[in-house]
Amino acid sequence: MELSASVLKGLQVAGSSAVGDGAFSKLASRVLQATLGLGDASSVQGDPALSKVDSGMLKEAYAALMTFVAEAARTDTDETGVSTVLEDCKFSPDRIETLSTLYMEHKAKVRAVLGRVLTAHPHIVDVDWRLDYYLKNNHLDRVNQPVYLIDLKTEQGDKGNRIVQFACSHEQLEDLVTKLKDACKSLEKFGQK
Amino acid sequence: PTVGVVICFTMLLVLSEEHKEHLRFLTSVELDVVKEFCRISLEFIRKGSNPRVYQTAAQKLGVDAGTVCHGVEGLMYLLTECSKLMVNELDFQDSIMVLGFSEDLKKELLAIYLENCNEIRTILSHMSMDLPHYQDLEWRLDVELASRALQRQVNPLVLLRFQIKDGESTSSELLQTDPVNLRHLTSTLEDALAEIKSQHCRRIMRNIK
Repeated sequence: MELSASVLKGLQVAGSSAVGDGAFSKLASRVLQATLGLGDASSVQGDPALSKVDSGMLKEAYAALMTFVAEAARTDTDETGVSTVLEDCKFSPDRIETLSTLYMEHKAKVRAVLGRVLTAHPHIVDVDWRLDYYLKNNHLDRVNQPVYLIDLKTEQGDKGNRIVQFACSHEQLEDLVTKLKDACKSLEKFGQK
Repeated sequence: PTVGVVICFTMLLVLSEEHKEHLRFLTSVELDVVKEFCRISLEFIRKGSNPRVYQTAAQKLGVDAGTVCHGVEGLMYLLTECSKLMVNELDFQDSIMVLGFSEDLKKELLAIYLENCNEIRTILSHMSMDLPHYQDLEWRLDVELASRALQRQVNPLVLLRFQIKDGESTSSELLQTDPVNLRHLTSTLEDALAEIKSQHCRRIMRNIK
């Protein structure tokens, strides 16, 4: 894990007496919420538990802690790795304990959030289907065929959600399902390795 | 107990006076000529009409090109309408009875109709509106190891390429999913497939013919 000089400096501020013990705990938990995309970042300054901290230093500490947590999760750093960095930044043992416990608790979730940053292709999250009976059209009577309409719901990070829709006959759906089952079987074999 | 409904079609093609007039011309020529007209009609149904053919035929027969044109077009309409409605043998014979054709001519027309009706229906279906439909699926299993935002992953990813045909053009949709969603997708579509064998669907499909 590599941290820039300004982040290290911000961490030192976070570990210093400029931030009281009570304020530090609050700050740490707000930082974790923020990396998960929860909580309201703009309300940090108004938080009564953090009122005694100088606002410039508060910003610096907050930013540094967020960068630290994200970077540690990104590189899959473990508890020991995290503690080492915090020790170097002159954190007290209590504060190291507080922050690394919070980090380990939420690490998997933070990694999940980071993993969703880039989806190369639209990611299928759901499927809807409908079965119609096609009777006729203006060129041809007595068509009399069942037709499936399939909606694939996809998500693609920033690019939002999209529905891929197509029709298929009974035979075509059988073909599709056979191929999907093959893919599932392959996955199972991979999972067993 | 539910009441079954059987919907049966008996289609008689009703020909307009004008149409009957055009076809009446066929009674005044040899059977071989009618066969030729039928051949021309089928060619035109397959490939579109060619006015020069009318001229040549008109000269050979010593009649007006307009008459030839009407005769051929009359035959084309008869064949396509009967194919469209899937008129059965009996109904076809009843429909042309009003034209006063000879027995031989009636037999000939019926034979030509029965021989070509499926092909004509295929041609008509190409003209019909169609929804973009599934053509093929290719899949691939990848394991995502890292990205700029996240290192050290072991993330199984399934890539799916759907080939979708819309009219003449085929397009490719490249999508991805994870193992959980793949299983969900597969089982949902399996349920969809099973639905067609349900009593309700079978009853509807059996009764609308």
